[in-house]
Amino acid sequence: MEYLILGIGDVFGGTTLLWVAVGVTLGYVLGAIPGLGKAIGVAVSIPLTFYLEPVSALGLLIGIAKGSAAGSAVSAILLNTPGEPSSAPTAFDGYPLARQGKAQKALKMGLFASVIGDFVSTIILILLAAPLARYALLIGPVELCAILVFSLVFIGGLSGNSLTKGLIAACFGIFFATVGLETETFVPRLTFGYLELEDGISLVPMAIGMLAVAEMIVQAGNLDTLDRETAELRDSSDPRDRRVTREEWRRCAPVIARGTFIGAAIGILPGLGASVGSFLSYGETRRVSATPEKYGTGMIEGVAAAESADNAVVPSSLIPLFALGIPGSVIAAILIAAFILHGLTPGPLMFQQQPRMVAGLYVSMLCASAILLVIGLLGQRLFSQIVHVPLRLVIPGVLLFCCVGSYMETGSIFSIFIMLGFALIGFVARKLDFSFVTFLIGFVIGPKLELSFRQSLQLLKHDASNLLGHPIALVFLFAALVFVVMSGRSSVTRRVQMPPTTQEH
Amino acid sequence: MKCFERRAILGLAASLAIASAGLLPDLAAAQDYPTKPVTMLVGYGAGGQTDLVARGAARVLAEQLGQPVNVVNKPGAGGAVAARELTQAAPDGYTILFHSNSVVNSAPFIMDQVNFTPDDFEYAGMITAYQTGLVAHVDAPFDDLKGFIAWARENPHFAYAALSPEARMYMDTLAEANGLEPNAVPVQSGGEMITALLGKQVIAAFSGGIHYRYPDELKTISATTTFRHPSAPDVASIEEDGYPIGMDTRTTLFLPKGTPRDVLERISDALSAAADDADFKKVTDGANIPIMYMNLDEARAEIESTYAKHKGILTDGS
Amino acid sequence: MKRANAISGIILCAFSLVMLAFVIPGQISTGPSGMMSPRLVPQMTMIGIFGLSLLLVLGNLRGGEDDHPPPFSRKELLALLRISAVFAIAIVLYEFFGALIGASSLVIFGLLALGERRPLVILTLTVVLLTGLWALFYKVLGTAIL
Repeated sequence: MEYLILGIGDVFGGTTLLWVAVGVTLGYVLGAIPGLGKAIGVAVSIPLTFYLEPVSALGLLIGIAKGSAAGSAVSAILLNTPGEPSSAPTAFDGYPLARQGKAQKALKMGLFASVIGDFVSTIILILLAAPLARYALLIGPVELCAILVFSLVFIGGLSGNSLTKGLIAACFGIFFATVGLETETFVPRLTFGYLELEDGISLVPMAIGMLAVAEMIVQAGNLDTLDRETAELRDSSDPRDRRVTREEWRRCAPVIARGTFIGAAIGILPGLGASVGSFLSYGETRRVSATPEKYGTGMIEGVAAAESADNAVVPSSLIPLFALGIPGSVIAAILIAAFILHGLTPGPLMFQQQPRMVAGLYVSMLCASAILLVIGLLGQRLFSQIVHVPLRLVIPGVLLFCCVGSYMETGSIFSIFIMLGFALIGFVARKLDFSFVTFLIGFVIGPKLELSFRQSLQLLKHDASNLLGHPIALVFLFAALVFVVMSGRSSVTRRVQMPPTTQEH
Repeated sequence: MKCFERRAILGLAASLAIASAGLLPDLAAAQDYPTKPVTMLVGYGAGGQTDLVARGAARVLAEQLGQPVNVVNKPGAGGAVAARELTQAAPDGYTILFHSNSVVNSAPFIMDQVNFTPDDFEYAGMITAYQTGLVAHVDAPFDDLKGFIAWARENPHFAYAALSPEARMYMDTLAEANGLEPNAVPVQSGGEMITALLGKQVIAAFSGGIHYRYPDELKTISATTTFRHPSAPDVASIEEDGYPIGMDTRTTLFLPKGTPRDVLERISDALSAAADDADFKKVTDGANIPIMYMNLDEARAEIESTYAKHKGILTDGS
Repeated sequence: MKRANAISGIILCAFSLVMLAFVIPGQISTGPSGMMSPRLVPQMTMIGIFGLSLLLVLGNLRGGEDDHPPPFSRKELLALLRISAVFAIAIVLYEFFGALIGASSLVIFGLLALGERRPLVILTLTVVLLTGLWALFYKVLGTAIL
């Protein structure tokens, strides 16, 4: 405990806080610019971290991660182009809110949800890192497979209007994820001879293409309408539209709590990534809502659900890193390098050998949450001015940043081609009302599901009866079955109750 | 750092201008090398073992050569994408690749699309080695290779984690020679492999060296290199145990074919400073990576001999 | 929309059949025996798409009012063509003349394609964006990206 005091002293005494602030600001700005994102910020900051003191360097990197998770909501809300794929659900309700003149309200809720999710998840990290990580080891491939099957159940709630099209999109997502070298047999799949495809299609250029570039093309096709709408709407004169009302806080509080919990839980599972957390939170909030059909038209709960989960994933994805030294995400892998560079060996020994440094790290992470709130509030006034800029000036800028962001992924123009290819696919899919949410979920979960299934086959020695030795897996499979039956029943009753409206299949 | 940055910007702006204008021949004589910043490609993404060592080496080289060395990550196909890009670069010493030599002496025998030979590149030295080995949890009921094989005979269909085709090759060789029946559990990354080991999901795995970060939980059963690991000097190498399939992987500086010899020598000498550099040692010690410097000629000899040896192992074995 | 759904359903059916019959067997070799085949998951997804798109077609063939406007507006398709052209030009210029020319042409031709005609605005925006990028990467982050 005395280390905590020392840690506070360290952080506030030196320049650490400055570097944390730099990280949060940089992350926020990079997240807010569509096309650029935290992976870029973290990767290019590595050289910088060589020269800094340990806690400052780590604070910088973690600050970038936190900042970008919150900043990505800005472009999602204002331009309908999420800064990161994980903020895609934020755009569903955030953008309609912005078009109704309530941009500031949406931005504020996004920020508050982000900060709360981030702060609470950091506390969870601090308190529970060690014991939780030991449990995380119990989640082997068999359990992971069952958990993924369970999470697929929620796809139904995310398909938009048409379950059929949503499932088609999910199948495509899984299909595109198989491109590359297959993990067990090392057989190249669908690479068409391109060496660059052997590692698969990168998520970032693909998401940038489908979400940002496609959106820009659609907006380019509607310049007149959109510009006219923008000219007509000022930020509504009702001051309540510029902030979050108490009534909305009341409605969103449980949503944020749920989102934080979901985000923190998903973050601990190695490899699932932030994308999945925010989608599942949005889907779940919509599922339990009394008015699910209103989601997508400007329900502020949607923004709260997506952003709280999105930010909660960041600290909890560091739990396997801190407690076991195992990276659960790309950011964590880069952080490991930074840790080692500065003499911290992540893992259980870290708490015993370097308690003071760890305490300093914890304190700086908590400070990062507070700094995030300040930066976010300051930035919003600035960023929300972008709605008043004519679209034809904004679009080329966004396209340029998208190219840079994609290029950075592999350092070659091949990624830009991927981005363009998926921009076309995204454009067509959007117009034909195929949900890219389920596509992204299929893309992210699909390969993990396949891999853990293959691993399970080997671990269970091709004998299903060995499943009995994995009680956790059985629990999740059972729960998945229960959910499917329940949703099937409730959707049937809903269809019976609601008058037959447009029943698109 | 400031003056490096300014030089970096000026240098890169200058090179961009020259490249855009259409590549005037580089008239600078090799003795003046280097007169502008050097680009170091790394074939893996940022943050991994190799990237860490590469950045440390880049710093040392920059100090020794007097010009900034900019690390650019070009991940893909285990380094083959970066290597291919190197073959298209100008052989003037301003583009180098820092990567494991497996891209030349193993990958061509495993991956269809890759067919490099040692003659496709020049070499300016090797600096560190990967401590690859067969690894198990400390609680495992065996301590060395013989013990493992005996245990495996009693427990067929045991599960081990396989990260790469080389890992499967090792296990298959052991299995064939001793009548074992292993079940290979595929894993996609070092982190996954470690998780599987720590969680006792698998009984053993082939690691690229990162298992030394967990000395209290994991032990090395056999070193799959031709030398004993500096981090585990009591563990016999797989060659000592009678299987001539040890494959050494070392980080190497590659240059495009045709680079003049004095440029190579200059870089090789600069690299040798890393072996004594305190900061570089801090990086490698922290990651349990042994420094084993080889100069340009030793590096070439090493690549050529291991190419021949690995060809025998990897094309006959599987 | 119903018509569009039906058409897209038919296209997807055809696509999945082509993948199943030609592309998947052509691009993916069967793995060694004893392990799950590498073709399995791609085939499963294509079979799924075939079945689902069949459902899509059938569900939209029944007559009934089409209360949604056709999905592709002419303006959007024109925008698609214009922006594709801009990218094509920018990429070609990048390959021949380097990143600086490529990036500027993306911005300049993009602005022109979207209707901006004031030369001062075009020039200023290009300069601002490119300098901004340069400043962000080279100064603030201190790393070369090329």
